[in-house]
Amino acid sequence: MAIVIYITLQLVVMILLAPLVNGIIKKVKALTQKREGAPVLQMYFDLYKLLKKSSVVSNVTSWIFAATPYIVVSSALTAALLVPVTTFASPIAFPFDIIMMVYILALGRFFMCLSALDAGSTFGGMGASREAMISSLIEPSLLISIFTIGLASQSTSINDIMLAMQSVSLPLLRPAFTLTFIALFIILIAETSRIPVDDPSTHLELTMVHEAMVLEYSGRQLALIELGAAIKQLVLITLIVNVFLPHDQFIAYAGISGVMLSLLVYLIKVIGFAVLIAAFEAGTVKFRFFSIPNLAALSFILAFLGFLQYFVLGR
Amino acid sequence: MAFLTVKFLLSASIILNVVAALAALVLLRNQKLCSLLSSLICIAASLFGLAAAFKQLLFEKEAMALSLWQSNIPFLDVTLSMDALSAFFVLCLSILALCVSIYSIGYMKHYFGIRNMALFYFLYASFMVSMLLVFTAGNAVIFFVVWEIMAVVSYFLVSFESDQPETQRAGILYIVMTHIGTAFLLIAFMLMGRYTGSFDFAIPSSALPENIRNIMFVLFLIGFGTKAGIIPFHIWLPYAHPSAPSNISALMSGIMIKTAIYGLLRFVFIYLGVETTWWGMAILVIGMISAVLGVAYAYIEQNIKRMLAYSSIENMGIIFIGLGISFMAFSEGLELVGALALTAALLHTVNHTLFKGSLFLGAGSVDYAVHSKNMEDLGGLLKRMPITALFFLGGALSVSAMVPFNGFISEWLTYQSIFAGIVPGQAAENILFIFAVAALALSGALAAACFIKLFGISFLGLPRSEQAASAKEVPLSMSLGSGILTALCLLSGIFPLYALGLIDKVVLQLANQPILGQLQGSIFFLYYPLEIHGNAISPQIIILTLAITSVAALFIVRITFGKDRRKEYGTWDCGYESLNPRMQYSAAAFSKPIRVVFKIMFRSSRNLKIKGPLTYHPDAMEYSVTTESIFEKYVYDPVSRMVTAFSGKAKYRIQTGSVHTYLLYIFITMLILMFYNRIIG
Repeated sequence: MAIVIYITLQLVVMILLAPLVNGIIKKVKALTQKREGAPVLQMYFDLYKLLKKSSVVSNVTSWIFAATPYIVVSSALTAALLVPVTTFASPIAFPFDIIMMVYILALGRFFMCLSALDAGSTFGGMGASREAMISSLIEPSLLISIFTIGLASQSTSINDIMLAMQSVSLPLLRPAFTLTFIALFIILIAETSRIPVDDPSTHLELTMVHEAMVLEYSGRQLALIELGAAIKQLVLITLIVNVFLPHDQFIAYAGISGVMLSLLVYLIKVIGFAVLIAAFEAGTVKFRFFSIPNLAALSFILAFLGFLQYFVLGR
Repeated sequence: MAFLTVKFLLSASIILNVVAALAALVLLRNQKLCSLLSSLICIAASLFGLAAAFKQLLFEKEAMALSLWQSNIPFLDVTLSMDALSAFFVLCLSILALCVSIYSIGYMKHYFGIRNMALFYFLYASFMVSMLLVFTAGNAVIFFVVWEIMAVVSYFLVSFESDQPETQRAGILYIVMTHIGTAFLLIAFMLMGRYTGSFDFAIPSSALPENIRNIMFVLFLIGFGTKAGIIPFHIWLPYAHPSAPSNISALMSGIMIKTAIYGLLRFVFIYLGVETTWWGMAILVIGMISAVLGVAYAYIEQNIKRMLAYSSIENMGIIFIGLGISFMAFSEGLELVGALALTAALLHTVNHTLFKGSLFLGAGSVDYAVHSKNMEDLGGLLKRMPITALFFLGGALSVSAMVPFNGFISEWLTYQSIFAGIVPGQAAENILFIFAVAALALSGALAAACFIKLFGISFLGLPRSEQAASAKEVPLSMSLGSGILTALCLLSGIFPLYALGLIDKVVLQLANQPILGQLQGSIFFLYYPLEIHGNAISPQIIILTLAITSVAALFIVRITFGKDRRKEYGTWDCGYESLNPRMQYSAAAFSKPIRVVFKIMFRSSRNLKIKGPLTYHPDAMEYSVTTESIFEKYVYDPVSRMVTAFSGKAKYRIQTGSVHTYLLYIFITMLILMFYNRIIG
């Protein structure tokens, strides 16, 4: 029973909240540029509009192209199940493995790149090739960061990591975790196709990565892919905020009221983090494509230093 | 059923393979019958091998020993023995041999009338026998003899298409490299005989002095490393595997290079024992280098089979990472970590056998249908060869360590063994381990990218050549061969505990550590999560969730918004006339970002030729990009030049052709020997 409640809660929160994060980021970016910007709820309207529309499908494509939107959504949702939004509701006997989460997200990416090549368009190949490079280069620092926080909590279960971090007072003030946090932040930027790695708001063929891959999609397929990407972004944000800024230890209530309060704090943290991402995006420009390795190297070095810090200075 | 002993089953497998070899020679005149009958006998032989291995692993406590010939000459007893370790490798061999033999029935058809079927099947069956004997050899002399037979037979198989200059070169390179490896092994075995007085590797090696042990380890590492194709001894592999017929490539990549893993476990782990930490470190570092460089070279490759060959180097690297961690952990007394890493390495061994077998067979099917291994000639094959494409996709997902295929399970176990191996207080080891994590992560991500490229360029989009456009699905036997392997990849990914149950027996024999009890988690609903130190995954629940969520997404959207109104239209072409296949992204273009990022390593140079009077409106353009292998250019080429130059000189200085000089040599040699006997002897 606890499992059913957990799964329902997890799916509802992730699906409903994911488009909002994009809306907030867009709104904050618009405000920094002295524009009014689209409404915060714009992505919900867009998804609704796309779902209603008919779709145009290239006659070159195969079943891979048709299946990919569902695989992307289901891999994002499955990953969402492994990252508890609140540790109060998470069942103990659930396999929350963090390495598993990384590989489930990779499954979605694998099919996304394949579908990009399916239509035989040059844009798709371009996007897939770039995505393959970016994801390969950030993978080492992602795994090292995961190992650092995992080793610090003596577990690779996300739930156990979150619980262990709750007993650390102010994790972000510990050098090892600060470095890992920055490394993971860079990974988040790269994984979610944001400036300076990719620009989500442009269709310029010289620079686009994610948009180039989904160029052939329209209608409900596009809606599903965009929703999947938004959920993936929220999964990563949840992981970061709940590990590095744990809050459940401060909540004294038990039962339903505890879960509700915990969710409320979680919501505030996510919105705050979205504002941080928007501020970061507004403050940088898109890098030249072949400068991205430098960013990946920076992330790798930070993750590695975080690991060293943990083992040289101890906790 | 009492007569179905392991001895009987194993002998039956060997004898049937010999029968297949002889039958092929007898049926020289009738190609069709020769191919069919030999394949069928080989299938039967592998079924017997499978039964022998299963029986040994599951039901027998004692190692099987089979004495074929007792001689009066010392060290020349021909004995076969099969313990859990041998049985595990015989199992891998038999599964692969079964599928490859089924596949060969259809695949060899395109050689009818062009090549000698009798010769091929004679060599094919001999290859099977030699590998069976390598895994079951009872002493070092027999091992060495069958090892050499395996090398020579596989050389003939590599150069089967002997009229192609490329194949000839690959064959020569292979036989030279494999003999360099054999030379190192020979020295190691001679040291073994010299210091222990016996070639029986069941006798404990306690008589060996410390420094001799170290020397023997290095010799074994280079000797077996050459067969394994790990960097820097890999240069034969990317040439030999693509040149061989695809069923042979599958066998070579799937199981022949694993004889090196068997050798390392048999002679280093069991015989020499692991007490020295730097042995494990050396294996780990070599494994890391092989994993990263192997997959990096695979990524820039345009030839399907060569890409798969480089990917084999990567996977051998991952196995070596597991072995290295295990050796290090055992030498430091961390028995559990060692057993876990060993399990991971062995699981990756069998996984690689399954998925690489499937992928090479799939590449063979593509070659069979399109007559090209170059990705730039392929494309759109998914619609023309849907079954081959499906099985190939399964293999690609598995090698990319995607959930829920078996490649993920072994990578996860490798990660977990590193995780368990990092304990505070040993800085050097920990830094090495975290680099191993980085190497695994980078090679894993690049492998996924590699197979996105391979599958995406070859099977999706528009056909890039006439042959690809008119490709037809391959015969049933070929689909069946690769299909069984892909199905096994999926099944052992969803239910990993069955494969782990078999490996448990091997780890029990090698390390006396029952790892299965550590791995098996609590029973929860209907699934058994894989659990180690409280870190659990459950492939079953993940595949279930993936299935439920994707189907739910389909139905919810369908019910809420009605049936999808689709309109078929051409691919977006920016408003120009229709796209043609040449406008697609090519394989070389796909790998360009990585080629640029790692340009120090690839040393790529682009060559653009513009033809026509006007630079901005050329009549024709030619673009080519070349990369060079630093190992060949800076290590092997200078050495081979030196050897050639030295041999050239030696020809004139030593081998003069005059009988008088030769008589003088004999006289001097005799003198030296006499003095040697007088003084030292």
